[in-house]
Amino acid sequence: MTRLQLEMSLAAIFTFALILIFLKKNSLSVKNSIAWLLLPLACLLIAIFPDPLAKFSGWLGFQAPSNFFFVILIGILFLICFFLTISISHQQAKINKLIQELSILKQKDAKNDKKK
Amino acid sequence: MKPKVLLIIPAFNEEKSLISTLSVVSNSGYDYVVINDGSTDSTEEILNNGNYNHISLISNLGIGGAVQTGYKYAYENSYDIAIQFDADGQHDISFVPDLIKPIVNQKANLAIGSCFIDKKFSGKRSSIVRSFGIKFLSGIIFLLSHKHIYDPTSGFRAADRKIIELFAEDYPQEYPEPVSNYELLRSKHFKIKEVPVKMNRRTGGKSSIHSWKSAYAAINVVISILILSLGRKKYD
Repeated sequence: MTRLQLEMSLAAIFTFALILIFLKKNSLSVKNSIAWLLLPLACLLIAIFPDPLAKFSGWLGFQAPSNFFFVILIGILFLICFFLTISISHQQAKINKLIQELSILKQKDAKNDKKK
Repeated sequence: MKPKVLLIIPAFNEEKSLISTLSVVSNSGYDYVVINDGSTDSTEEILNNGNYNHISLISNLGIGGAVQTGYKYAYENSYDIAIQFDADGQHDISFVPDLIKPIVNQKANLAIGSCFIDKKFSGKRSSIVRSFGIKFLSGIIFLLSHKHIYDPTSGFRAADRKIIELFAEDYPQEYPEPVSNYELLRSKHFKIKEVPVKMNRRTGGKSSIHSWKSAYAAINVVISILILSLGRKKYD
């Protein structure tokens, strides 16, 4: 194992553990953790078995395996961010509805109190 | 039978103009509901002291969310016609009968108060940027739908029961007027009519569209309209 492989394995294990800690603290839902857990796992696999990646990247026409690795990583991060934005939009819509319905209810309630 | 009419008055930090607008509105005899969109000035105090019918949003929603709350209120309280009416004194209550007329006569589902139809009413209302923006939007809407709306941004609109129900369920959150006007224009089931009205200069407060934000507004509205014209007909 080269030094680079060792460093990358350690970083991947550390990241994986970090995600597990937040999962255990319940500050991350399992649903949202899966994408993030897969990322360091993939990195660990690549660190231990770098040859298939190197071959595949050469076959695709990349000058260096690291370039291929970066492209994949950026792609995955883009997707995660994009789906995060989608979920923010959904949540915004839900919050809007909540604020509206609650405010209408509060007004009704205040009116009823006055009548009594 | 006389239709039940509700004025929806969204208010965000309107302390300067609210009292004068509301005294005119309550003297007119129309039912109204003020939606206080999380104002940080004395708007809430004015509403409570004057015992004006209002809903206070527990958090700021922006113009779309505030007006939609009014439509929900109109729907729940079974109003036949809901009219959006600005708190800043821009809209003239004496034009409400004109606005309601096409709906009562079943000539339209939505009536838009427009200050561009009748030449004697146009003029002092808007800045150059804004009137250019309105022309631009109107042009895009015409290109896409081959129908004219001279003032797609007008916030003085009357909606019938069908549209109240629709808007209570689904209403654009940002720049709602041009977007929802275009949506309705595309649908076969709704008729839109523009009615000439006179607009006053606002007596206080600021428009929700500031000049430095108008580029963003234009981009936002154009994207919304283009997306809508990509096949998906929401209201069919």
